[in-house]
Amino acid sequence: MFKFKPLVAATAAACALALPTLAHSRPVTLAATLNNYSGNGAYLAVYLTNAKGEYVSTLWVAGGKAKYYKHLADWNRLSANDAKRLNGVTGASVGAGRTLNVTADLADALIDAGYEIRIDAAVEKMRDSPSEVRVPLTKAGAGKAQPGKQYIQSLTYQIQ
Amino acid sequence: MTWRLLHRWLGLVAGAVALLLGITGAILALDPVSSAWQAVPAANDLPVATLAQRVAANVPGMEEIRRLPEGDIVAWSFDGNQARASRIDPADGHVLGAYEDSALFRWVKNLHRSFLLDDPGRIAAAVVALTMLLLSISGLTLTARRLGGWRQLTARVRGSLLQRIHVVTGRVVVAVLLLSSITALYMSAVTFSLIPADADTEPDVISVDSTQPDLRAEQLPLLRSLQTGDLRRLSFPSPDDPEDVWQVETDQGAGWVDRRSGQTLAWEPIAMPQRVNDLVTLLHTGEGAWFWAVPLGLAGACIPLFWVTGLLMWWQTRRQTPRIADNAALSQADMLIFVASESGVTWGFAQALHQALTRNGHRVYAGGLEKFQTVAAARQIFILAATYGDGQAPAHATKALERIKNQPISATPVTVLGFGDRQFGTFCGYAEALDQALRERGWPQLLPLEKIHQQSPQEFARWGAALAQALNESLTLNYVPRLPPTTVLTLISRQQFPGAAGEPSVILRFQSTGLSRFEAGDLIGIIPPESPVPRYYSLACGWRDGFVEICVRKFPNGLCSTWLHTLQAGDTVSAFVRPNPEFALGGTRKPAVLIGAGTGVAPLAGFIRRNTRHAPMHLFYGIRDPAKDYYFGREIEEWLGDHRLSSLKTAFSRVPDGGGYVQDALQRDATHVRELLSGGAIVRVCGSRAMSQGVTRVLDEILAPLRLSVARLKADGRYAEDIF
Repeated sequence: MFKFKPLVAATAAACALALPTLAHSRPVTLAATLNNYSGNGAYLAVYLTNAKGEYVSTLWVAGGKAKYYKHLADWNRLSANDAKRLNGVTGASVGAGRTLNVTADLADALIDAGYEIRIDAAVEKMRDSPSEVRVPLTKAGAGKAQPGKQYIQSLTYQIQ
Repeated sequence: MTWRLLHRWLGLVAGAVALLLGITGAILALDPVSSAWQAVPAANDLPVATLAQRVAANVPGMEEIRRLPEGDIVAWSFDGNQARASRIDPADGHVLGAYEDSALFRWVKNLHRSFLLDDPGRIAAAVVALTMLLLSISGLTLTARRLGGWRQLTARVRGSLLQRIHVVTGRVVVAVLLLSSITALYMSAVTFSLIPADADTEPDVISVDSTQPDLRAEQLPLLRSLQTGDLRRLSFPSPDDPEDVWQVETDQGAGWVDRRSGQTLAWEPIAMPQRVNDLVTLLHTGEGAWFWAVPLGLAGACIPLFWVTGLLMWWQTRRQTPRIADNAALSQADMLIFVASESGVTWGFAQALHQALTRNGHRVYAGGLEKFQTVAAARQIFILAATYGDGQAPAHATKALERIKNQPISATPVTVLGFGDRQFGTFCGYAEALDQALRERGWPQLLPLEKIHQQSPQEFARWGAALAQALNESLTLNYVPRLPPTTVLTLISRQQFPGAAGEPSVILRFQSTGLSRFEAGDLIGIIPPESPVPRYYSLACGWRDGFVEICVRKFPNGLCSTWLHTLQAGDTVSAFVRPNPEFALGGTRKPAVLIGAGTGVAPLAGFIRRNTRHAPMHLFYGIRDPAKDYYFGREIEEWLGDHRLSSLKTAFSRVPDGGGYVQDALQRDATHVRELLSGGAIVRVCGSRAMSQGVTRVLDEILAPLRLSVARLKADGRYAEDIF
C-alpha cells in the first residue's frame, strides 16, 4: 500500500491509506511551494477531510518535534483521535522557498466526492496558520495552483 | 589533580567549540537590549479589550495580536489576499510599520543552538553545554583551592598576568556561566521532549451557533479584565468559521471566549512545567529582561578570553618543563628515568642524566614519577625526586608512592637521587620515603640513596662519577641551571651590623632599574660569581619604593653571603625576582600579625614600609641585642610615628631581662593576639626553623580557646611562613 518515490525539490515522499473502500486507487502527487518568508523552516500538516469537514487521514507531517504539533491547530484537533496519524508520514520541516512533494495512493471514491486537501502551517516565532490552504479534491482542480494564506505560495496536485 | 586535568583538557578541546557558543551567545544578548531600546510598549494596565479594539479599528482582517517580550505589540492580519505583520502603537492602534524578525539574529540563533546542523547539531550543543557546566564547576573548585579554601574565594589573585585574567574573570562570571549551561541543558531536554514544557491538551470549545452578531473585542468581559502587561497572544475568531472562538494567552493562563455571547468558555491557568520553562528561557536568553541580557552577553564574550588565556597558560607550562631530546619509547628503553619535580628544576637534572646516558649509546626514557613502571628491556631505573615543603611529594606525584608499593618487583635495580635543602627539617624527606618503600619491598639498587643540597651541580657531578664507576662507563654529568633572565643591579648603600653572635649582618640597598615588578615578601635570586646556582633573599621593599633592599647575615663558609658582605657602593650583582605569592600580602587591608626574628624581619619591614594605607599591622620582633642587631630599628620607630605600624612588641634574647624570644613576646600579649586573630587577622612569620616552631607552639595555645589552630589558619590561607 505504501509507495516511495525519489523527489526533486525538497524533502519528502509520502503515501497514505486508501479509504473508504478497497476499490481502485490511484497515486495523487502534491507539490506545496513555500514563499520566501523570513523565518525558520515551516512545520506543515497535509491532511484530508470529508464533505462534512471531518478528518479522514493524514498524508504528511513535515517537522519532527511533537511538542510543536499544537501549533498545527486544526490538524492537531481534528486528528486527535487518530492514533496512527504519524505512521510513516513524517519528515523534516520545510525551509522558506522550498517545495514539499507528497505522493499518496488515494481511492477513486475520494475524488469528486466533496473531500478536501488541507494544509496547516506554523513557523517559529511567527503566526500559526491553521488551514493555511484548503483545496477540493476534484479531477477538474488537478494541475491548478492555489495559493495559501501566508506561507504557501502555491499548492498543486496531480491525479494519475 | 584530577580536577586540574579535567579542567585543562575539557577546556582545551571542548573550549574551542564553546568559543563559538560564547560569541554567538554574546551577539544574541544584544537582541533583547536593542529591542528594548526601540520598543514602543503598551501601558501595563491597558485592558486587552481596549488594545484589541484599537488594533481592529486600524488593521483590516485582524487574526492575531502578540506582545513581544520587550513589550512591542505586533498584529498579524489577512485582508483577503495578503498576510501582514505590523508593529502597532498601542496608544492609538495605528500601524508603525511592517514587522520583521531580524534575519541576522535568526541565523546566529540557529548557529548557537544547532551549529546549523539540525538535531545532530542540537545534541552537540547540549554536550558543549554540559562541558561548560563541568568547566565552571572544576574552575571554581580550582580557584578555591588556589586561593586557600572556599571562604577565601574573594581573596586577591596572585600570579602571572594570564593567570590573573583567567581566574579573576572566571570568579566574576562563573555564576552566570553555571546558570547558562544548566538552563541550556534544560532547554535541550525540552526540545527532545525529555522534559514536558506545556500542556498538550486544549479544551474542546466552540462558539454556539445563533443568529446573534459577533461581539466586538471591547465587549468581551474576559478581555476587559486582562491587562496588556500580562498579554502574550490574542487570536481573533476566523471570519470563515462560525464556530471559531477568541483565544487569549497571558502570563497567568489561557482563555477561550464565545464570539457571539462573549462568555468565557474555558480558562486554564498556566501549568507548572510551562512556568518553569518560561523562567528557564528568560534566564538563558534574557528575552524580556534586557538588564539580565547584559551580564549574559558579557559572560558569553568571556568564553573566548578563557580559552585563549587557558591555551597560553598550558603552552607556557609545557615550555617550562624542559623537553627531553631523543626520549626513547618506554617499551624499548634500557635506562628509565622517573622525575618528581615541583618547579621543573629537577627536570633539568634529568635532562643532563638523559643526555649523558644517551651519549653512551643507551636508549633512555624519561617520564613523570606518576608513570613509574619497569619494562622487560630495562637494565637500570633512576628516580630523581624533589621534596615539596615538609617531606611531601610534588603535586604531580602525590599518588606515585602508592603506585610504587603496588608494582610487581623486578630484578632491575632502582636508584633514588633526592633533591632538597638541608635547612629544612626533613632534608629530601620524599626521596627518603621513596627509597625506604623500595628497599622494604626488596627492589635491588645500583647506588645507595644520595641527596643533593640546593641544586648543587658539584654534588650532582660527584654522584655522576659514582654512577660511571658502578656502570663501568665513562660518564660526565653536566648540569646547567635554567635561570630566568637576570638584571645587573648596582649597590647604592650598605648598613653594617656587628651581630650579637659574632657573625655580622648587612642591609644592602640596590638600584631596582630593569627588574620586573615585585612586592615586599617576594624573593630576589642573586647569582654569586663562583657558582651558577642562585641564592634567594626576601625583599624588604616593593617595586614602588624604587630600590631593592635585603638583609644578609654572614654564614660561616657561606659562599654567597660572604661575597655580598664584601660589596661596596657602586659594585654590581646579577639578580632576578622570584614571586612568593603565598607570603606577600597582595594588597589586603586586613589586620596583620607580623612575627619575625633576626634578619627575618626584612620582608615584614617591607610590608610595613608599603603600608601607606594604614592597615592595622602589629609587629612582634625578636633579636639578640638591640645594641648589635636591631635591623630597621630607626625606620620602625618612624613607622610607629606615622601609623604605618600600629604596635611593636620586642624580645631581646641576649640581654638580661630582655624578654626572651619572640614567642615569649607573643605569650605576654596573648589576649591582644587572640583578639586580633578572632577578628580575622592574617599572620606572617619569617625567621629560622626553630623560631617558627616555637611560634607555632605558642600560637596554638593562644588559638585553642577560639577552637582554631595554626594548621587551620594555614588551610584558610591566613598564615604563611618564610623560613630559612
